[in-house]
Amino acid sequence: MSTIPQWVKNLKPAGPQGTELLQQERNKSSVDVEQLSNFLFTKDGLARKQRVLEILQNDKVFDKSQNYFAGRVDRFETALARAKKLRQLHIKHNFSQDDKMVANELISEPGPYGLHESMFLITLRDQGTPEQHEVFLRKAEQYKFIGCYAQTELGHGSNVRGLETTATWNSDDKTFTIHSPTLTSSKWWIGSLGRTANHAVVMAQLIVDGKPMGPHPFVVQIRDMESHQPLENIHVGDIGPKFGYNTMDNGYLLFNKVKVPHISMLARFSSVDPKTGKYARPASPSLVYGTLTWVRSTIVMQAGGVLARGVTIATRYCAVRRQFQDRDAPEWQKGENQVMNYTTVQVRLLPLLATTFALHFTGKAMMALYAASQSKMSQDAGKAGGPQRGAGPEETNAGSDLLADLHATSCGLKSLASYTAVEGLEICRRACGGHGYSSFSGIGPWYADYLPTATWEGDNYMLTQQVARYLLKTARSVLKGVDPNTNDTTLILSTFLARQDTGAAFDVLGNDSDIVAAFAWRASFLTFEALKHRDEQKKPWNSLLVDFYRLSRAHSQYMIVKNFYETLQSSSPAQEGMGTETLDIMHKLFRLYALHTLEQEASEFYTSSAVTVRQIQLARANAVMKLLEEIRPHAVRLADAWAFPDWQLDSSLGRYDGKVYEDMFYRASEQNPLNRVTIDPYPDSPTLFKANEAAALKSRL
Amino acid sequence: MPDFTDTLRPAGPGGPAILAKERDSSDVPVEQLAQHLFPSNDFLGRQERIVPILENNKLFDKSKQQNLSRPERYRLGLARAKQLRRYADQYNWEDEDLNVAQYLCDDVSPYMVHYSMFITTVREQGNEEQRSYWLPKIEAMEAIGCYAQTELGHGSNVRGIECQARWDPAKGEFELHSPTLTASKWWNGTMGRTANHAIVVAQLLVPKSAESKDYVNHGPHPFIVQIRDTQTHKPLPRIAVGDIGPKYGYAPMDNGYMLFDHFRIPHSAMLSRYSWVDPNTCTYSKPANPAVVYGSLTAVRASIIMHARLIMARAVTVAVRYTCVRRQFQDRDSNDKRAPEMSVLDYPTVQIRILPLLATMFALHYTGAAMQSLYENTRAQIDQGDFSKLAVLHAQSSGLKSLCTELAANSVETCRRALGGHGFGGGSGLIQLNNDYLSKPTVEGDNWMITQQTASYLIKRMSAAVAAKTEPQDEVEAACKEWLHQGHDKRSSPLQIFDSDEQLVEAFHRRSRYLTYQAYIEREVKNRSWNSLLIQLRKVSHAESQSILVTNFHKALQNPSSNLPPPLKAHLRKLFQLFTLYTLDSEARDFLKASAVSDEDLDRLPDRIQQLMAEIRPHAVNIVDAWKIPDFLLDSALGRYDGRVYEDLFNRAHRLNPLNKVTFNPYYTSDEIEMGGGDGELRRIVAKL
Ligand SMILES: Cc1cc2nc3c(=O)[nH]c(=O)nc-3n(C[C@H](O)[C@H](O)[C@H](O)COP(=O)(O)OP(=O)(O)OC[C@H]3O[C@@H](n4cnc5c(N)ncnc54)[C@H](O)[C@@H]3O)c2cc1C
Ligand SMILES: Cc1cc2nc3c(=O)[nH]c(=O)nc-3n(C[C@H](O)[C@H](O)[C@H](O)COP(=O)(O)OP(=O)(O)OC[C@H]3O[C@@H](n4cnc5c(N)ncnc54)[C@H](O)[C@@H]3O)c2cc1C
Repeated sequence: MSTIPQWVKNLKPAGPQGTELLQQERNKSSVDVEQLSNFLFTKDGLARKQRVLEILQNDKVFDKSQNYFAGRVDRFETALARAKKLRQLHIKHNFSQDDKMVANELISEPGPYGLHESMFLITLRDQGTPEQHEVFLRKAEQYKFIGCYAQTELGHGSNVRGLETTATWNSDDKTFTIHSPTLTSSKWWIGSLGRTANHAVVMAQLIVDGKPMGPHPFVVQIRDMESHQPLENIHVGDIGPKFGYNTMDNGYLLFNKVKVPHISMLARFSSVDPKTGKYARPASPSLVYGTLTWVRSTIVMQAGGVLARGVTIATRYCAVRRQFQDRDAPEWQKGENQVMNYTTVQVRLLPLLATTFALHFTGKAMMALYAASQSKMSQDAGKAGGPQRGAGPEETNAGSDLLADLHATSCGLKSLASYTAVEGLEICRRACGGHGYSSFSGIGPWYADYLPTATWEGDNYMLTQQVARYLLKTARSVLKGVDPNTNDTTLILSTFLARQDTGAAFDVLGNDSDIVAAFAWRASFLTFEALKHRDEQKKPWNSLLVDFYRLSRAHSQYMIVKNFYETLQSSSPAQEGMGTETLDIMHKLFRLYALHTLEQEASEFYTSSAVTVRQIQLARANAVMKLLEEIRPHAVRLADAWAFPDWQLDSSLGRYDGKVYEDMFYRASEQNPLNRVTIDPYPDSPTLFKANEAAALKSRL
Repeated sequence: MPDFTDTLRPAGPGGPAILAKERDSSDVPVEQLAQHLFPSNDFLGRQERIVPILENNKLFDKSKQQNLSRPERYRLGLARAKQLRRYADQYNWEDEDLNVAQYLCDDVSPYMVHYSMFITTVREQGNEEQRSYWLPKIEAMEAIGCYAQTELGHGSNVRGIECQARWDPAKGEFELHSPTLTASKWWNGTMGRTANHAIVVAQLLVPKSAESKDYVNHGPHPFIVQIRDTQTHKPLPRIAVGDIGPKYGYAPMDNGYMLFDHFRIPHSAMLSRYSWVDPNTCTYSKPANPAVVYGSLTAVRASIIMHARLIMARAVTVAVRYTCVRRQFQDRDSNDKRAPEMSVLDYPTVQIRILPLLATMFALHYTGAAMQSLYENTRAQIDQGDFSKLAVLHAQSSGLKSLCTELAANSVETCRRALGGHGFGGGSGLIQLNNDYLSKPTVEGDNWMITQQTASYLIKRMSAAVAAKTEPQDEVEAACKEWLHQGHDKRSSPLQIFDSDEQLVEAFHRRSRYLTYQAYIEREVKNRSWNSLLIQLRKVSHAESQSILVTNFHKALQNPSSNLPPPLKAHLRKLFQLFTLYTLDSEARDFLKASAVSDEDLDRLPDRIQQLMAEIRPHAVNIVDAWKIPDFLLDSALGRYDGRVYEDLFNRAHRLNPLNKVTFNPYYTSDEIEMGGGDGELRRIVAKL
């Protein structure tokens, strides 16, 4: 039924074809894609992805071809259909947790069950008592209760203590009254709430005997189980279209003095005694600490993959796209240059390619450390008086000290990693020139959905204050002579103090471990500078926020460089079968990431005397340029190792087979509903669409 | 439907009270500053006149458009474009009025390329006969046109396009043909659905002589071609044309593709003011001076800068107003537990993202204005065929296009991200702005590419200055000479950037000359390959552009004819310093190497910048007010003039949101999607995919 004339169908792109160009790229490089993929994801992980992919591709509801065209309501409707189907498949194929995560990655759009499946279930599980598990969790696991996590309000997000929703204890009838006193107290941004959920975990200020006790979680039914209409005195809806995330119904929620029973307050850590009306204090907050650390480490690791999508697309496209002959090429040399050969394209893409690995390894290392700290903690718990203790660097309990360190570093890394991925995706998109602006590039829509990661789980700027606070605290304890081996932070700060006067002479151009040391040095230098401002000069906290931001950034960059280096240095690449040639390229990527960063942040490295001006000059003029040249031939294969199926990328520019132009043309001419419309273009005529075959097509099916 | 939410009010202090206080406590004279910024062409008057017209027509109501699908967005865009054009007739609008109306409507209009490139090209490249034939039809919109240059395979490299126009002396016609898929026209605005005519840029192939079978390629030339039937609006036979699909932004615009299958057009289709094919002898005559096109390009680029400043002003207006109204946390160092929370604009990590941009929009303003008047002043010379001044103007404008559109594009995102969660929401007013504006770094010369033109020019002038054989050809060469003369190789002493604005400006000159000289050495002395120098060349270009921005900013403040009252001038001077020092800080190392600043001064920079921000902070609201961006254009709950942020956000979510009209069935065990829709719904949805 296509309207495309035969002569158009006969056309081929001008040669050389994209497929040939990518084949050449792949032939030129000795990087072993399979080895590297296995190293990144393990064989099992890759097989899992393949298996789930086949299941999804077989179901028409997951077909992506109209995603880029539809309006908000249609998109949501389709997303709901997909969410249901995925749940049905989950049961049919007995999906594991990992299978489901992979399925979500492949579908690549936030779905209406998103917050039910994450925060709602986790909160019920972690914060509910056994009795509450019985009442709420069981039904939630069966998707009879569908829920969300309602913390943020119109007026408050970062400052959780400022929440205005109240939950007042009524001792007479043993209930709580949930109430929204102002417009700004409306819950806002809550995923899965707008249209989907029938229950919510609501964070509200607990008031007992007129005394505010701070925010606490309550499970509240919000919609009727039959009609799905809001219950009386509850006002709930979707907050409207957004930059991205439009397949998710982020919602608002208001209560007009709604009474809920005593069991609604999740009471594992704090509770109101129904008989006496006495409030019992929360136990150690360190458990929450743990979950947050885990969530943030996941964001760090995912940031690598998020960015890798953009990098894969841009790398392949820039190898297929040819524009201009080389200015210095001899007359006789015909043919245009692949734009990947221009150094201004390389300097944008290749450091990002290196960054994808850097983030992935760092995230992985964080997750491993987290697991280690958890098992240490439970050991400690066996020895000492139980896990109910605070986590501060002054205290000497290996497990929780590790965790405190991890917690702080994960804040900084979450901030830097998601910032880097966000910025990097846009760089990739722009590097694709005009075609990058098309939705079919696949980068723009992906970027839009990823953006909120910079804001949630701690606003990226705000989080850096926590890192700074921790580093200052640690620096004070180091000055007081704490054991350097307490954790990595105490170690680098102590090392800096010890060598401060003799100075550093790091051979960053010749020696990889010196690169790591130079990053540690700069972070330590900035820590003690900040400490001077705060403790000696007594500067107000707020006047130092910019310094703190820089400090956190420096520390996180050190962490990334260190983890990248240690991953390559460890025995695991060899154990997992990575050959020396591939490993050699990985070392070059490490150097590119590190030296490019060093060059970008030159003045801090220079001011801290970690390196000399001359070294920085050389890093840029020689080392980085040379690395770009050396890595360039391997770019396509390195991107291939990220093993994105075309179905996941959903991109004309990033196709594995390089059929960029054919695919762009196909989507534009055959999948595009606008081309089924004939319009009346003349200003004097009120007719807009003369004929709309798209509508006709819809009703026929 | 009334409900209990109608009576709810935001917690205090309310937005209106906060903004009123901000406005009262600043002495920046808003009206004076507005007059200073928009002195000519009655821009503010037109805006005031046109806003009510649009506000009173429901068609221009923006509140629901974000929910629409792509085809619906186009339909709405077309309806608006038609209405605006009818208003123009009805109210006897001047061109400038229509421009202002389009700016306020804020759609990328499906008529846009008709009004701009299409008509301009006919005007500038058509000969007299062609102009008198086409222009009346174009002005009456019988011929609705587009500009089809870019192809699927080629955009930046215009010489590489594949579409052919082959002269057939026997039939006395050209044959337009697309030999490959990559020869398909692509991205051309207004072409996908709207236009019935196109300027088609194609490789001109002409036989060596009337008898010869050998064709000579004379390179890309413009042809005016009818592409759709004027009655049915269907494509003419042998033409395949359509819309290229959804994009990052530009939703109401039908960027198109187009292919020709041996499509015949008459001799008169080739726009022949400058180049011409003799139909009898097949002789081809060339344009006298290829610089003819430079002129309008420079004008276009000056207007790109003027446009960029308004984009920034819009983003910064939203950011400044919202971050004053938004309060989060009490001051950590304060002991007063009752104190209200802090405006987030009082946090330096918020200031450092927004306030330098507030200063930057002034920098763009003065340079855009300077470029415009420079262009107008040299126009007379251009009309007489003297292009000497144009070369430098053109080179500078390339670099400035790159830097200024980059600054503006990034500013929208920087502002948006500074707004926390609400910045991501549809009520921020920065989403469509971001989506539409992000085309600018790529179109009219890709930002990473055209900086080569600037750098190439600078290197040439430096070479000439080093050779010193002739008198300097222009001011750039003179400046190079001066710099060489000062003894660049002996270490000149650093400038006193904190003591004198002149020295600060001089620091930018010195660093630009220094980088130009380094690039000259690499390319001309060491003969390094062009490609290996691209990154360095981009720096050269940016350094020169920054130096121009700083210079024009400084000049504008010194200009006695601007009659700035001293208090206002003092405020503007702070903005000048903030822009300049902030820029210097981010490029510190270059300045150091150029011995333009001392190491000690660089160390002092961050404190100085933070201090300037603290001084500017209390005036931020008044300063953005002076840019007079109407609420109708901002379309932002966060950036509203009256500060009713939360009321507006809630209204948009609760009352204006179509998704809330639907009740869904959320249970996975049922295939019903909408409550009451029945199990067949899933099939209906799948059928649409
Ligand atoms: C798509 C999306 C989905 C979401 N889903 C959920 C959900 O399911 N459930 C839920 O409860 N929430 C959700 N949220 C809300 C999210 O957690 C908050 O938006 C986030 O915590 C940021 O808070 P905010 O919006 O109040 O930002 P604000 O705090 O208002 O930030 C505004 C600006 O002020 C700055 N700032 C604020 N305080 C300080 C300070 N002390 N020092 C320096 N600078 C400061 C910030 O850096 C930022 O630039 C979601 C948000 C989005 C965008
Ligand atoms: C919204 C929109 C509207 C448009 N409207 C029109 C229109 O109405 N009519 C029309 O004819 N066209 C139009 N265009 C096309 C536009 O002019 C081109 O997209 C633009 O010129 C960029 O060219 P490109 O896409 O070929 O980029 P490419 O040249 O393919 O760029 C890809 C990458 O290669 C790099 N690169 C390319 N060459 C070099 C080099 N020599 N040295 C270093 N790096 C290089 C670039 O920096 C970029 O990173 C439009 C485009 C957009 C996005």
